[in-house]
Amino acid sequence: MKTREFDGIRLEQVREYVWEIPREGDMRVPARVLASEELLEQIGDDKTLQQLRNATHLPGITKHAICMPDGHQGYGFPVGGVGATDTENGCISPGSVGYDINCGVRMMRTNLTYDDLRGKEEELVDSLFANVPSGLGGGGIVEGDVDTVNEVLARGMDWAMEEGHAVEADLLHCEDEGRRPDADPDAVSQKAKDRGKNQLGSLGSGNHFLEVQRVTDVYRPEVAEAFGMEEDQIVVLIHCGSRGLGHQVCNDYLRRIEKEHGDLLAALPDRELAAAPAGSPLAEDYYGAMCAAINFAWTNRQLIMHRTRRVFERAFGRDWEDMEMHLIYDVAHNIAKKEVHDVDGEERELYVHRKGATRAFPAGRPEVPRAYRDVGQPIIIPGSMGAGSYVLRGGDASMELTFGSTAHGAGRVMSRTQAKKEYWGETVRNDLRDRQKIYVKAQSGATVAEEAPGVYKDVDEVVRVSDELGIGDKVARTFPVCNIKG
Amino acid sequence: MRPFNRETVSYALRDHTADVAVEAAADDLSELFAAVADGLAAAMCESVPEDGGDCFPISVRAESREALLFDYLDQLIYERDVRGVLPVDNRAAVHRDGDEWVVEATARGVPLSAVVAREVKAVTYSEMRVEETADGWEAYVVFDV
Repeated sequence: MKTREFDGIRLEQVREYVWEIPREGDMRVPARVLASEELLEQIGDDKTLQQLRNATHLPGITKHAICMPDGHQGYGFPVGGVGATDTENGCISPGSVGYDINCGVRMMRTNLTYDDLRGKEEELVDSLFANVPSGLGGGGIVEGDVDTVNEVLARGMDWAMEEGHAVEADLLHCEDEGRRPDADPDAVSQKAKDRGKNQLGSLGSGNHFLEVQRVTDVYRPEVAEAFGMEEDQIVVLIHCGSRGLGHQVCNDYLRRIEKEHGDLLAALPDRELAAAPAGSPLAEDYYGAMCAAINFAWTNRQLIMHRTRRVFERAFGRDWEDMEMHLIYDVAHNIAKKEVHDVDGEERELYVHRKGATRAFPAGRPEVPRAYRDVGQPIIIPGSMGAGSYVLRGGDASMELTFGSTAHGAGRVMSRTQAKKEYWGETVRNDLRDRQKIYVKAQSGATVAEEAPGVYKDVDEVVRVSDELGIGDKVARTFPVCNIKG
Repeated sequence: MRPFNRETVSYALRDHTADVAVEAAADDLSELFAAVADGLAAAMCESVPEDGGDCFPISVRAESREALLFDYLDQLIYERDVRGVLPVDNRAAVHRDGDEWVVEATARGVPLSAVVAREVKAVTYSEMRVEETADGWEAYVVFDV
């Protein structure tokens, strides 16, 4: 058996791409890392493995705590982490969902080709940047009051459709049709709502972006056809989350757990894993608040997508319907959902925490929208702004190996502070334009430096491992044309 | 703790794979809290204007020193979003009140429209340290970006 050791943490290879940290001490289950040797070297280079081992201490955690191929150090639970806990005897952990609840990605297709867009890149990137709020204090597409926020929290994309920011097809191509039925706006604090009301329909900053891309490769034509994708087509990828509202929900509940369930917290190796016992009033409140924040994030991405349609209408002089600008799918990265999974032959309801991981349900699962039920759920994996992104479909092995999950992106390898020492934003921007014909516009040059292509892992390798394991199968690859960020 | 020049600055931004960490040192707890808050501002903005913006007060109460620092920084991020300002030039006075800890603070709120700033999403407890040393006080805080 092949073994590896990083900072005193020993991993045993179970089979190709599957590494296990055996159970020892107070670990409730073993931990697993899904990675090639190349990716494992990077994963072992920071505190990812320690954080993954800490996550095995969560009450009610089932089978394994799992790190996806793009895993890296986060806080509490590693980014790229999946942990399923029992909804009766386990816990729900706000710290294992993360601050940006339902941070996620959606992709919209068009019937435009790269040739249709060539020559308009600068006009388009300028117009997108001018019309899609980004950065700090940029406001939102909708200037809402608290009543608006409450409606969004309760109804998600239903609200957007009623207000003219969505059409029914958008809802039918979104996870849960863009509305979590368990949402409880009353469980969201006034403080969180205050932060959210000025940010509804905004990208934020950091690694969030809107990117116009072209499809460069199709690997599974029959699945790509079901997703409405073909080579040379223009698509739009939007990456953002629940903004200050979601961040505040997470912090509010971390603090409540600290005050109300200090005993459970004291038994965990990291305070950021803070968890509420399943069945407790606090667990119910958090689940309701988190589901409400999920609705907020879906609505946020919907508003940005619909605004993008308007920008394209002006740029190309055609109606968005005529350009067939339809949502392919919207996937969440930071989420905990009640799902039923087969555990050793028994059907059990679990809170599946995905922190920087994507649901990857295969064909046949009832949760997959009807349009994709025969081929599997679309999965969108963004790369850096200088590399390709991928569209996958839920793989058959995902239910057994990962509670129906796969990676969420390339994963960082370099810190933001180091990135600013290594790169200069303007140089990165000019290089991307001159060498790769990628047009980038950002509020801050520092953001461009922090998000330079070199700070990310090789997304090709992340996707290759996902495909080889059968947890997410490659369908198509896209490449950036225009990118805006905060 | 790696050294930094206490004569000119009492905080430093430290490497973190995905996020950003602030390490601070000061003679007492009050200065320490203000230094971490200034570090938070530095994590969002490389170049802070020397004037402009109005001062506003912040008062936070919590059950421990760490919880107080967490809530204080959380409140600064909240004020940033709601007021639309970058809180800089932080001043803080920390004291104990029975079983609780209290910080009475002020910040100068520079309008976000006047700076090029990036978002820090939240303060975290990850690896947080608030410690008394032979030379004073030290803190380490990771922020989610």
